[in-house]
Amino acid sequence: MLADAIAAERFRLLRDRSTLFWGFCFAPLVGFLLNVGGDLFLRFVIKKPMPGLAVGLVDQVIKALSDGASTFGALFLMIGAAAVLAGDYRWETWRLLTPRNTRQNLLLGKLFVVGEAVFWSLLLSAALSALAALVGSAINGKTVALSLLDRNPFDIVGVLAITWLEAMVLAALAACVGVLSRSTMGVVIACLGVRFVQTILAGAMRAMEQGPPSWKLLSLPVFDADLLRAALLAPDQLGDAGGSAGVALVALLAWAAALTAAAVVLFRRQDLTKE
Amino acid sequence: MSIALEADRLTKTYGAVRALDEFSIAIPAGGVFGVLGPNGAGKSTLFRIALGLVRPTSGSARLFGTAPGDITALRKVGAMIETPRYPPYLTARDTLTMLALESGAKTADVGGWLERVSLTHAADRATSGFSVGMKQRLGLAAAFLTKPELVILDEPTSGMDPAGIQEIRALIVDLAKREGVTVILASHQLDEVKRVCDRVAILSRGKVVAEGGVAELTAGEARLRLTLTSPLAPALAVLGDRGEADGSDAVLADIPRAEAPAVIRALVEAGAEIVEARWREVDLEGVYLKSLGQTPTATTVEGAA
Repeated sequence: MLADAIAAERFRLLRDRSTLFWGFCFAPLVGFLLNVGGDLFLRFVIKKPMPGLAVGLVDQVIKALSDGASTFGALFLMIGAAAVLAGDYRWETWRLLTPRNTRQNLLLGKLFVVGEAVFWSLLLSAALSALAALVGSAINGKTVALSLLDRNPFDIVGVLAITWLEAMVLAALAACVGVLSRSTMGVVIACLGVRFVQTILAGAMRAMEQGPPSWKLLSLPVFDADLLRAALLAPDQLGDAGGSAGVALVALLAWAAALTAAAVVLFRRQDLTKE
Repeated sequence: MSIALEADRLTKTYGAVRALDEFSIAIPAGGVFGVLGPNGAGKSTLFRIALGLVRPTSGSARLFGTAPGDITALRKVGAMIETPRYPPYLTARDTLTMLALESGAKTADVGGWLERVSLTHAADRATSGFSVGMKQRLGLAAAFLTKPELVILDEPTSGMDPAGIQEIRALIVDLAKREGVTVILASHQLDEVKRVCDRVAILSRGKVVAEGGVAELTAGEARLRLTLTSPLAPALAVLGDRGEADGSDAVLADIPRAEAPAVIRALVEAGAEIVEARWREVDLEGVYLKSLGQTPTATTVEGAA
């Protein structure tokens, strides 16, 4: 049963402190420490009071969530995803699991748990960015407002969902690469490479294109996620691209579904002679 | 009688290597079935196919009548394949709990199983620090944890100390008999198979070369040794292809027990002076070696005719 596979993977991940920390907690903690460190630097090194400065809690949280699947964030998420999705090749433990559940359930269970971990990691990012804003205001006397950009707190939910979906496209790719390469390092390098190349391509193609985004551009998950976040947060600034938000959402969902299906098909056909 | 594991013309090739070659077997439910064979005979490949770890090149395998990897069959099976490995960050207790969850079984039985395989003292230690023998014990607990109908064990006592081997053998026999679990056990240790198994299949180069009950296999291989005070030639002439000289004063006769009186009578009538007749029974090792095309040597058991 899929529920059994999910329960087992969740139990396992909660005991894998190294993966939990480096994969799903480290990036949010670094974000928090950089924010607070910046405020401490201003307060104790620059030593200039900053009256009149203000910080928007919702804005800070949305920024942190938007960066959740950036190349930096993706690096650590992929370290976590690789340990969950390809760790059994590394530890040669598939022989322990495969006789207990179907291949499909085993892999989907892992992906589900990665999805949960990504969700909690993004929530941790959001919580720590809000905390960093409050700590920063205490250090530097900044005024704390709900939002300086007139954003709705419910926008946080939307951005969280978009970034989570963007990360899950990468996680599904990680599942495919994990099955094909049987290597945790292979997963991290391949997924990070794909993420990085997409960023470069999306920037270059957008700069060359006029009018609404082409299908080539819309086929890049990174562009789709950026477009969706922009459509949610600043629809009036999108111009010609505004009408493509629906297509971008479908493209992201299609990528996640196609890569997940491909990973399951590959895994079901794979010989586990020597994991 | 229901069939626990069935293979029909099963073939598996790894590049140029043919691990299983048109392999067919039907292992009945109940008792302990031994699978013997040298390295590369195809034992582990058979188990891996049965458990859905490896896909056959051709032919089919069925567990309780369903295809490998089918959830209904998997729920009835426990297994330990080769030297078990575990996620290094998990303790023994966590490992069994995780495996129980994966199988949809009760996690409450974990403590009891750790006790049965004498690992209670190490229950909360990470498995990365376990000796091979401790890993084997934990693997056995994992195999039996979900109360399966069939347990597949690949070299279950490898790497264990003599006391541990005895303990595990007793546990396997106990579970097979008392709880009605069918056990299929692959081993290189002929003594282990002889002590634990009811039936045996001997594999060589991906094929079954002998199969049957342990007593049945060895009884079929008994030879009659006749010590003579007269020249051997007349006796050998009577026996023909079924006889051979054993030293200067004895002949060995490959004959069924039922024919022994008639053969002895014929030999006496031909002038043979027989001073002793003993059945020389070949043990499991002899059967094993003969099945593999090697000569059984000193490991024979003699008994009076």
